[in-house]
Amino acid sequence: MARVLEVKKLHVTYGKIGPEVLKGIDLNVEDDDFLAIIGPSGAGKSTLIRCINRLVEPTAGSINLFGQDIRAVSGSALRHVRRNIGMIFQEFNLIDRMSVIDNVLAGRLGYTGMLRSLLRWFPRSDIDRALELLDRVGLSDHVEKRADELSGGQRQRVGIARALMQQPKLLLLDEPTSALDPKISREVMGLIRDLAREFKVPTLCNIHDVTLATEFCNKIVGLQDGHKMFEGSTESLRKADLDRIYAMEVL
Amino acid sequence: MSAVAAVGTESGPGAAGADRVIQGKRTGRLKGLAVIGFMLAVVAWSIDGTIIADTDWSRIGGPKGVFSSLGRFLQLDLGVLPHLIVPMIETFMIACLGTLLGCLFSLPVAWLGAANVTPSRLVAYPIGRFLMVLSRSVHEIVWALLFVSAVGLGALPGILAVAMRSVGFISKITAEAIENIDKKPVEAIRAVGGNEFQVMYYGIVPQILPVVLGVVIFEWDINIRRSAVMGLVGAGGLGLLFFRQMNMFNYGGVTMVVLAILVLILIGETVSHFARKAVT
Repeated sequence: MARVLEVKKLHVTYGKIGPEVLKGIDLNVEDDDFLAIIGPSGAGKSTLIRCINRLVEPTAGSINLFGQDIRAVSGSALRHVRRNIGMIFQEFNLIDRMSVIDNVLAGRLGYTGMLRSLLRWFPRSDIDRALELLDRVGLSDHVEKRADELSGGQRQRVGIARALMQQPKLLLLDEPTSALDPKISREVMGLIRDLAREFKVPTLCNIHDVTLATEFCNKIVGLQDGHKMFEGSTESLRKADLDRIYAMEVL
Repeated sequence: MSAVAAVGTESGPGAAGADRVIQGKRTGRLKGLAVIGFMLAVVAWSIDGTIIADTDWSRIGGPKGVFSSLGRFLQLDLGVLPHLIVPMIETFMIACLGTLLGCLFSLPVAWLGAANVTPSRLVAYPIGRFLMVLSRSVHEIVWALLFVSAVGLGALPGILAVAMRSVGFISKITAEAIENIDKKPVEAIRAVGGNEFQVMYYGIVPQILPVVLGVVIFEWDINIRRSAVMGLVGAGGLGLLFFRQMNMFNYGGVTMVVLAILVLILIGETVSHFARKAVT
């Protein structure tokens, strides 16, 4: 077990005078973790996860990934950090008018030069890997289809394949199941967990569905209004902890 | 009981309300009449000033004269036919090359003038917006006059004029399409470590492409009309032939040129109709 990600005293304020969304969050991820971040909407879950690949700029605190200070990098160094972090989104964030395979190959853009990107001319090794991943997520029959022809569950599977295409060292999941129905949600979470285990990728997952969180994750972090209210293994989560995390919801 | 009685009496609030409504309607009618009267006066004044005082009535010489003059245009001069081919092709080429060049100029203008991708909201954005307005507010004939004096007679000033006139519409629609994109794919390409070019090419371009292609085809269709008149100021194409036939008082030849323009426009309309269907 080794420390992968270390977040210390993270603060985020949107704009110059906006409200403070994260108020000093500490978080550690080990290399075999499938960690769930739970909490009511507006607690800062999405903001926290987006700080780790710097889609959101923190205002204070430190983020250390594999011993590298993420907040210090910019330009191409930041892009190199990002290509090591796969991300799966709530609304899939696919390129609708592109084919499924091109969407998956887009996961390699961080490694792809200007001319190859322009012509969508990916190396054969990338295409082989994309086809293999599409097979793993069960989309072998939909390779050449346009992404917007697929159902929600299938679209998220494309998102999973795209993230794994990066050969990531860390996976970030931002509410991967909230746009899906309960049955598909369970399938998708199971698929992500199995693939994360197989490729040995530590995973950080925002999820508001506590049942799914306890079923699939080994560690839970509870956020409420920018504060960390709970941290511990899934087994140690008690009803009282949940009541504290979701205290605001009742009002 | 008392409330009903109050409505019925002359001095009650109900009666005063009705009086107010009637008074309001009366002033409304008077205002309407005043506006209509003023508009009629302006129209009468314009007719007197422009048509009655400004027309050379003696030269028209009665309704018969008007119809016989128009009739001269109906005696088609088929001898012009062989001279139509080359200017027709030239007009078509001015439209195509002008549109293509216009697209090229539109790219940077749209980039400057789209609020969400502009390099600077304070400097670049207003410049982009100004260029869009400039292109559209100057008439294509005026653009052509400018370029004829700059590069001389021929098709080149026509192409440049058509291109300049096209930039406004193409870049404006493109900029609006960029402003209306779904940001989610952009975020995804950023998250995989894509650079700014890759973010634009994968995140933005696929989303705006159908709109942009549609507007380019539409503009090409309009540009056929525009290139047909470029020759009036010496910028090539059918317009020049029109100008010559008119100068020779060869009215049948003028009609032939107009028919040639019509044929070109019909071709443009048809191609544009099917091409736009294909891209959306």
